[in-house]
Order: sequence, then structure tokens, then C-alpha cells
Amino acid sequence: MKFTHEILETNAGILLIATMVAISVGGLVEIAPLFLIDDTVEKVDGVRPYTPLESRGRDIYIREGCYTCHSQMIRPFRDEQLRYGHYSLAAESKYDHPFQWGSKRTGPDLARVGGKYSNEWHVQHLIQPKSVVPESVMPNYPWLMSPLDYSDVAARLRALRTTGVPYSNSTAEYEANVKEFGTEVAETLRIDRAQANLVAQAQAGNYDGDRTSVTEMDALVAYLQVLGTMVDFSKVKPEDLVKYR
Amino acid sequence: MLLEWLARPENAKSLGLLIFFVTFCLIVLWVYAGGKKRAERMEEHKNIPFLDDDLDQETKDKSNG
Amino acid sequence: MAASNPAAAEQYDYEYIKKFTVMAIVWAVVGMAVGVYIASELAWPFLNFDIPYITFGRFRPVHTGAVIFGFGGSALFATSYYVVQRTCQARLWGGGLIPFTFWGWQAIIVLAALSYVTGYSQGREYAEMEWPIDLLIEVVWVAYLAIFVGTLMKRKQPHIYVANWFYVSFILATALLHTFNNIAVPVGLFTLKSYSLFSGAQDAMTQWWYGHNAVGFFLTAAFLGMMYYFVPKHAGRPVYSYRLSIVHFWALSFMYMWVGTHHLHWTALPDWASTLGATFSIMLLLPSWGGMINGIMTLSGAWDKLRTDYVMRFMIVALSFYGMSTFEGPLMSLKDVNALSHYTDWTVGHVHSGALGWVAMISFGSLYHMLPRLWNTRLYSEKLVGVHFWLATVGVLLYIVAMWISGISQGLMWRAFDDFGNLQYSFVESVEAMHPFYAMRAIGGMFFLSGMCVMAYNAYMTIRQGAREAGVAGRTAPAAA
Repeated sequence: MKFTHEILETNAGILLIATMVAISVGGLVEIAPLFLIDDTVEKVDGVRPYTPLESRGRDIYIREGCYTCHSQMIRPFRDEQLRYGHYSLAAESKYDHPFQWGSKRTGPDLARVGGKYSNEWHVQHLIQPKSVVPESVMPNYPWLMSPLDYSDVAARLRALRTTGVPYSNSTAEYEANVKEFGTEVAETLRIDRAQANLVAQAQAGNYDGDRTSVTEMDALVAYLQVLGTMVDFSKVKPEDLVKYR
Repeated sequence: MLLEWLARPENAKSLGLLIFFVTFCLIVLWVYAGGKKRAERMEEHKNIPFLDDDLDQETKDKSNG
Repeated sequence: MAASNPAAAEQYDYEYIKKFTVMAIVWAVVGMAVGVYIASELAWPFLNFDIPYITFGRFRPVHTGAVIFGFGGSALFATSYYVVQRTCQARLWGGGLIPFTFWGWQAIIVLAALSYVTGYSQGREYAEMEWPIDLLIEVVWVAYLAIFVGTLMKRKQPHIYVANWFYVSFILATALLHTFNNIAVPVGLFTLKSYSLFSGAQDAMTQWWYGHNAVGFFLTAAFLGMMYYFVPKHAGRPVYSYRLSIVHFWALSFMYMWVGTHHLHWTALPDWASTLGATFSIMLLLPSWGGMINGIMTLSGAWDKLRTDYVMRFMIVALSFYGMSTFEGPLMSLKDVNALSHYTDWTVGHVHSGALGWVAMISFGSLYHMLPRLWNTRLYSEKLVGVHFWLATVGVLLYIVAMWISGISQGLMWRAFDDFGNLQYSFVESVEAMHPFYAMRAIGGMFFLSGMCVMAYNAYMTIRQGAREAGVAGRTAPAAA
């Protein structure tokens, strides 16, 4: 029988199937290879999962919708290099569930904001941006000074572990992390020590200028301060990166 | 040879263009091929939205008036 | 006399179409009001008032959710239930599933908005709903598919009209996109928080495959379905070319799914993927314009209707904006243009020329067409439709122009160098320079919102008038009731 369009027009089932086929091809061709081809993510040293405190900071970053105004993806242009630093690598967000590359720069890119400003600056800026940047249109976030609820941090890390982030739940996993990231980092990835590690980092880092309590500010500033600092670009050869683009 | 060329990511653009263009031409051929009779038969379906008109007459009269 | 038309009432099930129509208008007012508010926050930041619930970051998904899924979604449910019945000449299938899709969908919009303001978000644009809401969407959507296909199956008309293909394609694609973009691991059974299964580049790819196809299928294919029924029906003339609509449909359905990666030019996504996306974006111009021409040419020979009929004007202006933004889109997907436009307000302007100019305007036209037919009366005021038309048109134009200027200036300021090879402007200088355009955008939004309020009033009065007439008819002709 001749295949005419009438067949599609008069059979709901066939129309459904044909439409499904037409809309499935594009996604399959573009998405599937990214999971299969190793070339998607560069192999660079230094990228590690977030510590419990940083991870909670990232949760707050998402909660407040920071991605609606800030990107975390520096493009390989001269002006972006000068303004923000080395262009972003896929490896640098390989533990980001979800990714926060963003799509809009109402404010500047934050992919390498870590270490650019002091903790004090961040605290003051988050509480009242205009006090340090008078022209800013960013809202004030005074409520970040309230205590951080870290009671479920272990559960959060466990969920992240399910998605594939190597937080350790057993001695074997811990040993693997020691091999991959070194003892110091491996310690921070232990789920059984998550709460203690979180409090310890908040107190040692003293991000919000107050050692007596762990606040949301501690977590968010800890997260901001680690952004883009994991890879040491003085040790990376540019030609090793090019083939991944 | 051909397979190698297909597998190279930098050829994606040309490949995409090729796939699309061939598909597109086939669809257009398929739709517009055939004589006047086939065209008429296909085009008549565009009147489907008007087959329920009698039920609407009342409303229509009102809108116009 | 209204009630003397029992055949239509029996043949077609209008109950939930009416409810969806009302909610589409309600969500449009709410969503656009929030939009105007967040636009104003960018122009006058004191409006954040140090209240966590209404800061820009939390309020923005409330705006996108209410307009896309609340207004757009309800308008699509209403029109698709209307179109599928009338073009199949069959009563809506589904029984209890129909009210379920209505109440379920409204619950989704409300729950999503509440979760955003209280700080629960997946952090993925246009898919911010957390996992329990996602599951509810999944269930409602399956019910929707069942109702739509069920109605198609019991059609009395042997052929499935083109509008229905677009609706089918939209329902299927949305199911596919929603499912794969929202795979996440919840922190616990009794918490809303979850983490996406994918990370980094793969997650970005999945999200923008979803993100752009939310535009391509939810906001385009479905509204083309609307166009293919309501434009010919309102003009009283069949669509320009049925065969062109066949090409339009298959090319659009096939190609849209490829283009999402143009949102990721110059990022850490492998180059081939974004290049492929750009290639398809440019090719997409063909079917898009094919569809636009098909819609506009439907009116050929009856252009005088444009002078007298504002509902028709809404539809034709919508098609013009569709043509404009489907030209702008491929342009912005070119890598060199994208290098300038990405991350700037130009993107925001582009989205709104599509969303306000095309999606909202074609919906207004279709809703104005349906209102008198659903409530069996005539429109309360044709004049107010005209007022709405002008407010909306001026609003969109102000909005788009403001965003063009601010977007292009941002792009140019960020990449400007002085004579010594240093960056000429600090970032915050670009922020400061945007202020007048942010104000202009907010004012454009206010125009559009005022038009929407006029429509809400007109719809309310039309419905009241319909109810009154039905009451009178019921008293004088009880046999018909």
C-alpha cells in the first residue's frame, strides 16, 4: 500500500507514533553521546566535591535563585578572561547537581569569584550590597545571618552520593577517596562526619565574623570562596584543554 | 572512510545540514507530488473547522448584530 | 435566544473549557503583575523590601511559572479541549479525568508558586518545581494525553484536523521533556529538596534541551495548533494551504528538538553539540516562516476584516511577532552574534517578543473568539477589545525596544577595551547604564498588564451577560432548559 499522509491523518495511533519518532531524534543524537564520550569532561587535577558546609552554601545559592542574575560560566574571550579569569572547564562543574551555569548576567559572573574578595566584604555585600557597591541593584539578604539548619546535612550528602558524587559511606569508599583526592579532602567527604566537619569548617573559616554560631552566611560565603579555585591553572597546559572544546 | 568522516564531531554541522536537507526534500516531495486530483483531495480537509457551523449559527448572528 | 441552542450544549462538553478559560485570564493577570513587579525591582531595587519571599531571585520563577504554565497552560487546555471536540465533532472523552486535569493543573501552579517563595527550587530555569510537584505534573499530563487521544479515537470526522497534530506533538514532547529533565534524587521522602541526577555539562545539555523545547513545543507548537483552528475559523475562510501545513508540522516537530544547545555556545559543552544546535536553529526559519505565511495568507482576500475586527487583529499581529522572533532567534543562535547577545537583556527581549507578541496575543485572539461561544452570548464590548489591543501592542514594543538597547549596550560595554588594552568599563558601570531601560521595560510591562486587566473586565462582563441571558431564556422557555 502506498504511504500517503492520509494514513497519518486518519489513524490516531499511527500519528502518535510518527510524531514521537520525529521529536525523539534530536534529543537522542545530542544528549546520548555526552554520556558516552569521555571527551566531554577534561581530566584536570584539583576538582573535588564540595565540603558539607560549601554544599549547604550551594543549597542557599539555589534557594535564593542567584542563578537568575549570575552566571557561572566564563567563555573563552579576551574580555571575559580579563574580567573573570580563565575560561570555565566542564570538569569544574562535574560535581554540580544541578549545574548553575546560568543564562543571564544582571550581575557579574561568579565562576571564579572565590578568593577575589575578603570574607568581610562578602558578608557586608550580602547584607547590604549598596554599602560596598553603591550602583548595585542586588537585593539585601539580611536573613542570611540567621542560624544554619544543618541537621539533615548527612541526608543531603547521601542523596548527592546517589547521584554519583563520591561522598564516602564506608571504609572502602573512604580509602578510594584518599587515593583520588588525598587524606585531607577525603576526610571532608565522610558522610558519618558530615555535621562535625561542617561545624569545624564554619568555626575555623569564621566566614561571617562570628565564631559562636553557624549561620547561613557561613555556608554561602564558604561556597562563594571556593568557586573557581579548585583548579591550579599555572599547572595546566592550554593545549591539553583545547581538544575538549 | 565514510564512517570515519561521519564519526568526527567537527563534521556535525555538515552532517546535520545533509540529514535535514534530504529529509526536508523528501517531505516536500511526498506532500506535493501527485496530480491535481491528489492536491484537491488533500486540500479539502482544510474545511473541517467549518463542518460544525450550523450549531453556531445563533451565536454568530448575535455577534454580527 | 441563547438557550434555544441545545444541540451544541449536548454535542460538546464546555464545562471545564469554561473553567480553564477563566483561570487562563486569572493567571495572566497574576503572572504579568508579578512580572511587572520583578521588572520594577531591577529598576528600583528598594522594592525588594528586605522580604525574602519577594526578592527577585525567588519571585522570578513565580512569574515564569504563572505566565507559562498558569496562563499559557490553562489557555492550551481550554483551546485544545474546544478544538478537538469541534474538529472531531465528538464530545470530550474522559469523564472524571477532565475535572482532574483542571484541579490538578491549578494545584500545580499554586503549589509551585508557594514553594518558590518559601525557597524550594530545583535551580533549573522553567523547571524549578521540586519533585512532588513534578510527579503531580506527570500524572496530570498522562490524563491530558488520555483525554485528548480518547477524544480523537471517537471522532465522527474521519480526518484528524491539522490543529490536533500540533496539540498531539505538544503533549507528547512536553511529557518527554518533563520526564527526562526532572530526574532527581530527593533528600528524603518528607522533604521537598532534591538533587538532579545529572551534573555539569550533561545537566546543562539536558536542561537546555528542555528549556528551548518548552519554548518550541509548549509555547510554539501548541499555539500553532491554536492558530490553525482559530485564525481560519474567525476569518471564516479555510487555512491558506493544507499541504504547507503538513510540511510545517513535520519539519517543525523534527527540528525543534535539536536546537536547545544554542543556549550553550562558547561554554564547556563540546563544540559540536552547540554548532549542531545553531545549524538547526537557522534551518528552523523555514518551517517557522512557512507556518507564519500559512496563517497570514489565510486572510488574503479578506484584509478588510483587519480594519473592523480587533480579534482578528490580535491574531495577525501575533503571527507577525511570530515571524519576527523566529527570525531573531536563528540570528541570535549564530555563534558570533551569540557571543554578544548571550547573558544580556537581548535574550530577555527576544523571549518576550515571542511570549507577549506571539503566545499571549494569539491566546487573546482565541479567547475572545471562544468567550461568546462558550457562554452563548456576544462579547460585552468590542471597543474594549480595541483598547486591549493598543495597550498590548504599545506594551510589547516598549518592552522589546528597551531590551534591545540595554542588551546590545551591555554586550558592547563588557567587551570594550581602552587604548591600552584594558577593559574600558567595570561591570557595575554597565549595571548603572541599564537603569533607564529597566524603567522603560517596567513601563512597557505595565501597559501590557493594563490591557490584560481590561480583558479580564470584558470577560467578566461577557460571562455575566451570558448568565443573565440564560436565566431569562430559562424562564421564558422552560422547555429548552
